[in-house]
Amino acid sequence: MPTDWTPAALSDDIPAASAAPGQLGPHDLAIWRSASGRIAAWADRCPHRGMRLSHGYVRGERLSCIYHGWGYGEGGQCVRIPAHPELTPPEAIKVPVFRAVEASGVIWVAVEAPEAPPPEFPGFEAFRSLQVKAAPEALAGALGGSGLVVEAALGGATVVALIQPLRDGAVGLHLLAPEALGAAELDALSVAAEALRRRVEEGVTA
Amino acid sequence: MSETGAMRDHWYPVGMTKQLTEAGRDTLLMGEPIRVFRDGGQPQVSDGAGRALPVIDRFGHVWTSLGTPAKDLFTIPEADQPGRRLVDVGVCRVRCSPLRAVENFLDIAHFPFVHTDILGSEPHTEVERYEVEIRDDVDEVWATKVKFFQPQAAKSAEGGITTDYMYRVCAPTCSVLYKTCPPKPGEWDVIALFVQPLTETLCDVWPWMALYDDDAEMTDLIHFQQMIFVQDRSVLENQLPALLPLDPGMEIPTRADMTSIAYRRWLKRHGFTYGAQLVAA
Repeated sequence: MPTDWTPAALSDDIPAASAAPGQLGPHDLAIWRSASGRIAAWADRCPHRGMRLSHGYVRGERLSCIYHGWGYGEGGQCVRIPAHPELTPPEAIKVPVFRAVEASGVIWVAVEAPEAPPPEFPGFEAFRSLQVKAAPEALAGALGGSGLVVEAALGGATVVALIQPLRDGAVGLHLLAPEALGAAELDALSVAAEALRRRVEEGVTA
Repeated sequence: MSETGAMRDHWYPVGMTKQLTEAGRDTLLMGEPIRVFRDGGQPQVSDGAGRALPVIDRFGHVWTSLGTPAKDLFTIPEADQPGRRLVDVGVCRVRCSPLRAVENFLDIAHFPFVHTDILGSEPHTEVERYEVEIRDDVDEVWATKVKFFQPQAAKSAEGGITTDYMYRVCAPTCSVLYKTCPPKPGEWDVIALFVQPLTETLCDVWPWMALYDDDAEMTDLIHFQQMIFVQDRSVLENQLPALLPLDPGMEIPTRADMTSIAYRRWLKRHGFTYGAQLVAA
């Protein structure tokens, strides 16, 4: 069970009024952003019929399930059941909520709020996320470091690589690039990141 | 053997009669390999050991059982009325519990969200009270007096109407619905969902229809129903857990789910648990 912040997605990848799937250890997450920009990470399961909420839709400050339109607001509380518009949903209908905060363009999640805020990386900005089929140590090693936060040279730039352990033998690689990198340099970084992924994945299967 | 439980002694669809060839088709029934083929013109089914299984050819489909069915396959008397067009829609493979596929078929509250602007549309989302019973004489679940506003209820519908529905669960993985028939007021269109349980979390769904519709092309009728089911599949393959929970604490129903509640109760009562989860994992 992670007791610290885990990087789960990049802020730019979850625009206002959208939802996407994510992971935190054994938990499936629905990471979503309200119309006003608030980020949240909830259990990816509607309590009604088990549908993944990450397939749902956002209107205003609510996330609704795509199956029957049940709407959930603040704290995961069900606030609307379209089949019975006059009904006030019972308080028991609630989606489990995780902690979610944003720092340096990264969405960090946790089961319980860790004592310290997530790390900041001055001079860097979120660039791109990739999924790699490899163990966290193998990816960190290929980047020339160890642990889940690695400063590495990649594609001619110095980057911060945030490694997120995922289930089924995969990891999330969230890359932060130096601010004010030009388009050509960012392209080179992207190409290098994909080459790194291929190299690490081939190392796994070899 | 034991995990198939009481569902073993029931009938299941395993193919469309019209598509059957002498070479046959290898498929699965409740995890066991079977072969469906034609021999001397007659549909036959054999199990993995080559043993002949019982066969019924009805509603355009071949039906079989791994066990010893105590009763005949159900009938759909309305389907024999003259003037109806019988439509074999074909097969749709879905990575879900066969019981979840049936439960979704019994549900109207999802129409505005999953079949948007076809079988339902906002703000017409309300499900009015309807009647549900388990009919002990025939041992079937019935829902009646179901009403829902639909923008395009059927291929033949023009503009929105309030559609009346009746639902019937007549076998563990089979349901028949009756709905308002736009071209022939006073009669019901019949749409059935026959589900072949391949495994507990994989099924082949064979929709079948008996409609009063003289105008539509057969391919359009098939495409309409296939489009509806492909929309259902996007939900069915993303429900957690994959197995249908029979533990009442696992999922929270509302009044609109009365048919689903009765279906789950009926499954539990009979020990129809292949594709179900009895206690929370």
